[in-house]
Amino acid sequence: MSVRAPETVRERKGFFTDTTVCIGCKACEVACKEWNQLPDDGFVFTAMSYDNTGALGASTWRHVAFVERPVAFGGQTTADGDFSWLMMSDVCKHCQSAGCLENCPTGAIVRTEFDSVYVQPDVCNGCGYCIAGCPFGVIGRREDDGGAWKCTLCYDRLKGDMEPACAKACPTDSIQYGDLDDLRRRAEERVATLHTRGVREAYLYGASEQDQPGTGGLNAFFLLVDRPEVYNLPPDPVAPAKKAREAWLSMAAAGLGMLVVAAGAVLSARGGSR
Amino acid sequence: MSEAAMREPVEADPDRGTDRRNIDQARGVLEGEGSLQKVRGPEHSAREEVWTEEPTAGGDDPTYYDRPVLKEPVWISAVPAYFWVGGAAGAAATLGAVAQVADRRGFEGLVRRARWMAAVGAGVGGGLLVADLGKPSRFLNMLRVFRPSSPMSVGSWVLAAVAPTAGIAALTSGREGVPGGLGDAGGLAAGVLGVPLAGYTAVLLSNTAVPVWQATRRSLPALFMSSGMTTAAGLLGMLDLTEREERVVRRFAVAGRVADLVAAKAVEHDADLVRTVGKPLHEGLSGTLWKASEALTAASLVASLLPGRRSRLRRVVEGTLGAGGSLAMRFAVFHAGKASSRDPRATFHQQRSGHGGLEATGREPVSAPPAG
Repeated sequence: MSVRAPETVRERKGFFTDTTVCIGCKACEVACKEWNQLPDDGFVFTAMSYDNTGALGASTWRHVAFVERPVAFGGQTTADGDFSWLMMSDVCKHCQSAGCLENCPTGAIVRTEFDSVYVQPDVCNGCGYCIAGCPFGVIGRREDDGGAWKCTLCYDRLKGDMEPACAKACPTDSIQYGDLDDLRRRAEERVATLHTRGVREAYLYGASEQDQPGTGGLNAFFLLVDRPEVYNLPPDPVAPAKKAREAWLSMAAAGLGMLVVAAGAVLSARGGSR
Repeated sequence: MSEAAMREPVEADPDRGTDRRNIDQARGVLEGEGSLQKVRGPEHSAREEVWTEEPTAGGDDPTYYDRPVLKEPVWISAVPAYFWVGGAAGAAATLGAVAQVADRRGFEGLVRRARWMAAVGAGVGGGLLVADLGKPSRFLNMLRVFRPSSPMSVGSWVLAAVAPTAGIAALTSGREGVPGGLGDAGGLAAGVLGVPLAGYTAVLLSNTAVPVWQATRRSLPALFMSSGMTTAAGLLGMLDLTEREERVVRRFAVAGRVADLVAAKAVEHDADLVRTVGKPLHEGLSGTLWKASEALTAASLVASLLPGRRSRLRRVVEGTLGAGGSLAMRFAVFHAGKASSRDPRATFHQQRSGHGGLEATGREPVSAPPAG
């Protein structure tokens, strides 16, 4: 069940994040905070490698994950046993079937003309249903604000023909912004190149409807070299509304049952004494 | 700007200390996409737990430092309390409407009390839902659009329709003529809408990414519906009713309690298809509440089936056990969902065992490096 209105989508924009060239500099995190004027994360030390951001949330719209793996990259050897770094800049996926958008009861979450998913802060009443509906744990609500917030794909910059701040700041082009068709073509070429160079484990995550039917494909997709779980990505995410039919049918059957019981209770007692 | 001006020390802004944006508002304009966000302190979600064993990638069952993959639902206890109140209101509205259609005069007392329970329940329920909102002053935005893909939108409209119709019906109970007719129409409308009011909350929960809620989407609506019957009948049974009305309420209650016990087993079965998904129903706060709920419901069923005089005290004990069991169940399901969302393995195992997108679309995703 999709509630998007494709006729309002003029351009299909998104991100291709190539994790094999991410160097973990967090320039994307900083650029996002600066441009969008988001508050800090509280300066905590997590002891999770170099990741002191932890997760995406209401005021963290880019998050660089750091994985220290006891596994060598394909075709590579390391001096001190098998080891490799994985770094990935995570972001809202702007799903084709967006759980947050489909769950939003106020119409605060909309699909923009760039095919991105946008929360209108002046409409959101903070019901929290989008947060439970997101299969990636992206959207969040700050206790002191009360509204739901997430990456806007830099809607304001896009309207001014500028690329999102994170992609602009990325020094290695790990984050690439552009037209989705173009990004997919570039991503497939990159996977082919990596395969010929011996990194046989490279693959695309969520690049299209065929790759990830549960979400209908992601407008922000990734090139990964290990299972999605390693990067804290769900292996087979699904927009919850795709399963709603069974729940509604079950409710209808139970409701019929309640009516029958009520009628039985009333009718069986009708003939008796008052 | 001159060089001298650039070197000038920035005056401490009284708001900067609490704003956490580090923007000198004399020089920078707050108009970014996130600038409307009100910020007073650091986010509490930043707190971390100390590991006992170093969680690391690799192995057959990897996670990202055991961090949750989902966000924990932000709802407060007002939400499960609403599930309980709304369920009872819906079931009462339906029972009242059926009694009204069958014999309005004969069941006058029961019809009136059921209508009042529906009206008060819908009103209190609405208040509980507003209290849960992050921005309560914007509660009317719930009726800004109608979105069939969102069970919360559907439910908001149902609740908004039940409250006034049940209210009119309650206020005109026992009246004749035009007011009585209006009341009957209201009672009938509230009775029809009472069915979705009693059950939509289960659809709402299952329509989320939370593993244990999504996994129980076929059985949870039945449990919520029967639980509404148990509570409504338990509470109505405590009131002054004629002998005939008391029999109606008792039969409704017994059917509800039997259905509760059966549906609870079905929910457990659905959740336990994947061990990590069903875990919160057996462990922790949610597990304890779940067991307590089953025990209370079973006790109320036994109490209602025992022979002997049906004194008021007995009806109060019976009704309290049943309603208490139902309340414990709502909180058990609520906390099970919170626990489930904190466990990344619940999500990973559910989806790896074919209960993710594959189940809904029939097609496999690309979710691993190519073999070879």
